[in-house]
Amino acid sequence: MNSRRNFLKQLSGAALAAGTAPSILTWALPQGESVEFPGEDGMILRSFRFVDLETPVEYFSTWLTPVPHFFVRNHMHEPAQLDAPDWRLSIGGEVEKPFTLSLAELSKLETHSVVNTLECAGNGRSLHRPQVPGVQWGKGAVSTARFSGPSLRDVLQRAGVKPTGKHVMFRGLDEVPGKVPPFIRSIPIEKALDTDTLIATHMNGSPLTKHHGFPARALAPGWIGAASCKWLTEIKVLDAEFVGNFMSPAYRWPNQPVKPGDAVKPEDTHALTALSVKSVISGPSDGASVNSGKVIVHGTAWAGEADITKVEISTDSGATWNPAKLGHDQAHYAWRLWSYDWKAHKPGDYTILSRATDSQGRTQPSTPAWNPSGYLYNAVDQVKIHVS
Amino acid sequence: MLKPCGNVEERRFSAASSVIDDAGFSPGGRILRHAFIALLALALASPFLTQAQKPAAATADLPAGPMQAKATTACLECHEARIILQQRLTKPAWTKEVDKMTKWGAVVDPADRDALIDYLSANFSPEKPAYDPPRTSDKAGSRKSSK
Repeated sequence: MNSRRNFLKQLSGAALAAGTAPSILTWALPQGESVEFPGEDGMILRSFRFVDLETPVEYFSTWLTPVPHFFVRNHMHEPAQLDAPDWRLSIGGEVEKPFTLSLAELSKLETHSVVNTLECAGNGRSLHRPQVPGVQWGKGAVSTARFSGPSLRDVLQRAGVKPTGKHVMFRGLDEVPGKVPPFIRSIPIEKALDTDTLIATHMNGSPLTKHHGFPARALAPGWIGAASCKWLTEIKVLDAEFVGNFMSPAYRWPNQPVKPGDAVKPEDTHALTALSVKSVISGPSDGASVNSGKVIVHGTAWAGEADITKVEISTDSGATWNPAKLGHDQAHYAWRLWSYDWKAHKPGDYTILSRATDSQGRTQPSTPAWNPSGYLYNAVDQVKIHVS
Repeated sequence: MLKPCGNVEERRFSAASSVIDDAGFSPGGRILRHAFIALLALALASPFLTQAQKPAAATADLPAGPMQAKATTACLECHEARIILQQRLTKPAWTKEVDKMTKWGAVVDPADRDALIDYLSANFSPEKPAYDPPRTSDKAGSRKSSK
């Protein structure tokens, strides 16, 4: 571990003087290095430029994720200049009456709120074997917030979608470096006209921060995060799925199961939409040592557009399973917190597993469905702990 | 807020144990070990100390090697080094990545392509241990208040 090497280097120098002791001590502690990042507290820094921040699983203890703990996934550079008075949102394409909205006009429209668990399609990518390229997310590219703003449906109805309108494209203001294809994607018209699909301007009651798409983002609840375009500036109704890198080959799922490591032709894939069923153990931490007696195993579970119906826990490496208690807070597209009181009488090493099932009858698999870009990892979660 | 949560305590303890092991192997290990244990006891008794963290540079560097300078020019124009440092890919996978990025505007002299692929494959192969990312600083003390 880097911090350990640094620590030994320090020991060999003169830094053991009393005055520097606290800093040496903190180097020895497991927090390691930290990077200044205003408004983003204790997040795992996957990348500073572009900004990619992962929520540590131990933060998954509240139903709504505070904004400073909400994961951030940027594909490009954030807009350098973004002045609310100058911002405009255009609505066009296959519509009768194209128009443009200012932020003031947008804020006058009727507001809807949706508590949504937003998850990056690549969450858990680092756990796939063989390993695949991309941001090497652990388990925390997922968070939950109350998103508010006008319904996309209201705006589209005002424009009048023509019968030829089949997909709705979102373009953001992110700044594209080099010859990288712009981050543009589309969602089917049915999802766009769902009353829960929003042009979100607020998160947990406050205006969106820049990292989360100020002043407005699309919000396609229950779907992969990439469907919810940030820094939204253009909504265009199309007669077919948008053609571009981030619709294909990116963010696609094989039509047939794939042997780990095999290539998949783009024509044998389809665009990713709703999230899978999944649970994560947020405590005890992997590698923790706990005292025997009552151990509260806790975590969260979500299922995209479906509802979580049960979470089961195994404390004997999967031989037997017991139901966890689901938390009171619930909403259609939101995760459920859960907990399980385990009586750990016997000291030893244990593998604790969590397994969620949803209202569509889907259950987390024991092995993940491998795919070339490492999307939708949702294998049964596990932590290894020691009871003393 | 000042009371560390169970998780932090647990992780702190396990990491501290491994550091003591390492210190034992270093020159003059015994004296250092005693000094270290004393300091460690102080740390464990003083939760506020754990709030300080070693500040790190916002962006990281690519590892030393014959292609470090050229890789820095070609790759870090658009994104920072950590995007590369965290990958663990085979040579065929790195070849695909380099060719994709070249198509997307990375300036790679055709004469350097193979050397760049070798550099990335050698430093970031599946056999290498996982990259250990830093955290953003935790001014709100969230890690202590999480349960």
